Amino acid sequence: MKTDIYEKLVRAGATRRDVLKGAASMAAIAAASGVGLGASTRPASAASELRAKILQIPGVGKGQPTDADFQKVGELCLEATKANVKEGEFAGVELKFMGLNNQNLHNVLFRGFLKPWEAYTGAKISWIDLAQADYNARLQQSIATGTVDFDIAEMGAPFEGDVCGKGLTSVMPDWVKKQIDIDDLVNYLKPPVGTWDGKQYRVTIDGDTHNFNYRTDVFADADLAKQWKDSGGAGEWGVPKTWQQVQAVTKFLKGKKFKGQDVYGYLDAPKPWGGFGFYFLGSRATAYAKHPDDKAWLFDADTMKPRINNPAWVRAIQDVIDALPSEPADQINADPNTTGFQQFLAGTGSMIPWWGDIGSNVKTNDSSVIGDLCGFDILPGSDDVYNSKTGKWDKLPSGPNYAPNLAYLGWGVYVMARVDSDPKKQKAAWSAAAHLGGKDLAIWTAMYPSGFQCYRNSQHDIDEWVAAGYDKAFITSYLDSQFNSYNHPNGAIEPRIPGIFQYYSAAEDILANTFAGKMKAQEGADAIAAAWEKLTDQIGREKQVKLYKASLGM
Amino acid sequence: MNRGPAATPDHSLRLRLQEGPSKRARFVADQTSTANQWPADAAPYDLISPARKRLGWALMAAATIGLLATILLQILYKSEVDTIGFETWRPVVYAYVLWGVAIGIGQVLTRGEDGQRALFLLPALLFTIAMVIFPTLFGFYIALTDWNLSSFNGRRFNGLDNFWQMLSDPYYRNALFNMVLYVLAVLVEYVIAFGLALLLNAQIRARKFFRVVFLMPLMLSPVAVSWMIGKSLMEYRFGPAATLARHLGWENPAFFSDPITARISVMLLDAWTFIPFMMIMLLAGLQAMSREVLEAARVDGANAWQTFWQVTFPLMLPVSVTAVILRIIFKLKLADIIITVTSGGPGGATDSVSSFIYREYRDRSNVGYGTMLAMAYLVIIVVFVTWLLKLANRFVRNVN
Repeated sequence: MKTDIYEKLVRAGATRRDVLKGAASMAAIAAASGVGLGASTRPASAASELRAKILQIPGVGKGQPTDADFQKVGELCLEATKANVKEGEFAGVELKFMGLNNQNLHNVLFRGFLKPWEAYTGAKISWIDLAQADYNARLQQSIATGTVDFDIAEMGAPFEGDVCGKGLTSVMPDWVKKQIDIDDLVNYLKPPVGTWDGKQYRVTIDGDTHNFNYRTDVFADADLAKQWKDSGGAGEWGVPKTWQQVQAVTKFLKGKKFKGQDVYGYLDAPKPWGGFGFYFLGSRATAYAKHPDDKAWLFDADTMKPRINNPAWVRAIQDVIDALPSEPADQINADPNTTGFQQFLAGTGSMIPWWGDIGSNVKTNDSSVIGDLCGFDILPGSDDVYNSKTGKWDKLPSGPNYAPNLAYLGWGVYVMARVDSDPKKQKAAWSAAAHLGGKDLAIWTAMYPSGFQCYRNSQHDIDEWVAAGYDKAFITSYLDSQFNSYNHPNGAIEPRIPGIFQYYSAAEDILANTFAGKMKAQEGADAIAAAWEKLTDQIGREKQVKLYKASLGM
Repeated sequence: MNRGPAATPDHSLRLRLQEGPSKRARFVADQTSTANQWPADAAPYDLISPARKRLGWALMAAATIGLLATILLQILYKSEVDTIGFETWRPVVYAYVLWGVAIGIGQVLTRGEDGQRALFLLPALLFTIAMVIFPTLFGFYIALTDWNLSSFNGRRFNGLDNFWQMLSDPYYRNALFNMVLYVLAVLVEYVIAFGLALLLNAQIRARKFFRVVFLMPLMLSPVAVSWMIGKSLMEYRFGPAATLARHLGWENPAFFSDPITARISVMLLDAWTFIPFMMIMLLAGLQAMSREVLEAARVDGANAWQTFWQVTFPLMLPVSVTAVILRIIFKLKLADIIITVTSGGPGGATDSVSSFIYREYRDRSNVGYGTMLAMAYLVIIVVFVTWLLKLANRFVRNVN
């Protein structure tokens, strides 16, 4: 869970009584439900009791969790470890853990969670803390120079191609799968994500997707509805469900006033953002480019021939070009951080795609003025979808094509292959990773500031959230937009091939020129395709094809 | 057993007496002068025994062979030609250090006093070789390789491919063109800095206060300037500068959306940070200027305009040239403001060479090509600055 949403709850002053009431009711429900199988063969009532107990540390509304709280939670969640590891079993083992220290989260929490684990198992962990901006360079340099000096790594799924694809990670033992209840993962994080050549490598600890954030007040406004009708707008005035509607609404809103201020429709993020900006074009393109009958959507799976210059992607690029004149005057200089935090939360624009952070900031961020005016959904669909196999646009009998952009796929914990030569060390490393990826720990990290979002089906229990102090309507809307994206049958899975951010970064530079009017949409797309072809050849086409297929589970 | 010349004064005296009056005179001078006395065991070059020299040469040769063998062994091991070698390159560094020590000892053994003198220079020289010259040469080698960190094949020598690619790279050419504009902007900055320096050199109220205030931008990190001014004050929606611009009649005060406006905005941000640097140098020059010259001009009837153009400006030329050249060198490194505020946009209008290399190297892990871009830029800078210095020297000489 993001820091800001937690702080909001603190400010809202959820009382201890509320929390206890919620916990008690949960315990009662658990008790009434009889016995069942929990995460690690514990009775359901015991599991529920444990979850209710850890969610009181420190208690929603009781201030920011401290290291002591992390340790308490880590201690209470040790049962699963104890079932597989004897006390003191890893005495003398030393492990090195590389991870992030963003916003004093990630590694900072891991340290606390793993302290009781160290005390119980006898292993010692030393830490490599990295800022997000330094992470890619550090990882790539370690790999390229053959100086992998860490045993466990916190890593985003897009880097799996660089690491797992090169055989640098250890294969997950079956006992770990059982300990972390791997079947509880949301659909899109199940294999092929986290696996290479059918072998499981990743202990998932986070989930990521782009969802659709919109202004409820704008789309419920009677005056705008009348103007929409008068202007000949198709259908009723309301939240767009397709990109065609998004375009129409964005153009319609140009020059309109709402609550005495300029109102804008969709906000694009044309400015490069270290490769991450490409995800935002991706969100516009997936409904056009991701056909339900085809797992691939960014490259042809058999050849790695880029699809970025096919009609679907070119339409998405053209949409941006067409929409920009209807967006704020300086939109060309807006990156996703600007659209999300300086524009949308501050009341500019009425639709944006983003990761779950908008939802977790909308009520809590100090600069947000749309706390009660924000709704959530999965990304819009498209009336038609491009079929790369036939080269034609298909209209699906089921209606618009939806394809949530499952961007980034969240963080995971990976054990490096260098521990495999020492069985004791290998077991210790996997035990530490499994502890961090535990089912009960997951609900705590989702509800308290941790830097991690939901990634398990068991985290979609609205009552558990409400019992912990969350507003039901808000958390329902928000979690539904997340989980309906996670579990969507036509989700667009991130290609986890080596150097994927190089592809994105190269595209960003060319797109910036295209959006600035230096090239037409097709010319820009062709230039990106050429740059990507060159990059694929440089990295190694044959292996890229193999890994791309593997990443799509083909 | 040959004990060596340093320990046999009688023997050395005999040798010297046999070498004629000039050497004898120097010997006498050495014996009488306390200022030139060297440690007791030091020996002049001509007093060193052949055996000691042989020992010194042998030591240096052995160390050099050892170093070269270690390097060769490691190269063969790393290129998988043989199986004997070290896991890391660290032993090569140790071999280099040992070689340095051996060379130092060898210098003393073979050259005596001259060798001891060389010891003062040798560590600095070896350090410079290790930390500057070798990395630069290695950089040139990397520039000739196809090295993408994600590549399965690792580093691969590809000759001048990167160079040819660079020549046809529109983004690099665009960045170079932008650099020309950025460097030209230094002339405007110079005029402003000179004006401010004249102002602060004049007898104005609160002069010290203004001197400190005008210096403050220089104390700020360009990244802080980028956020405080570029991304806050000049922010389109709520930035005070944008609000003021609206009041002044600019309907859409977007400072970074139009190519020309964005370029000027970046120039302004950079100028705001670095004008104080030029100003303080020029102010120091003005204060060091002789008052008598100015008074003499006044006595001769020169007005303020004539005094400035005929006296102050020519006398300030050496300082001005230094300030401008240093500022140009700073300008050639311009990157942080661009990376933070515009990412080179819109459409590459504000991209600098450094910010482009940053993206190529950091975001795309394209080490070989990124290094080629950096090395080519280094050569351009060296040639340009050398030419600039010569031009400046000639200009100053002609004017004065």
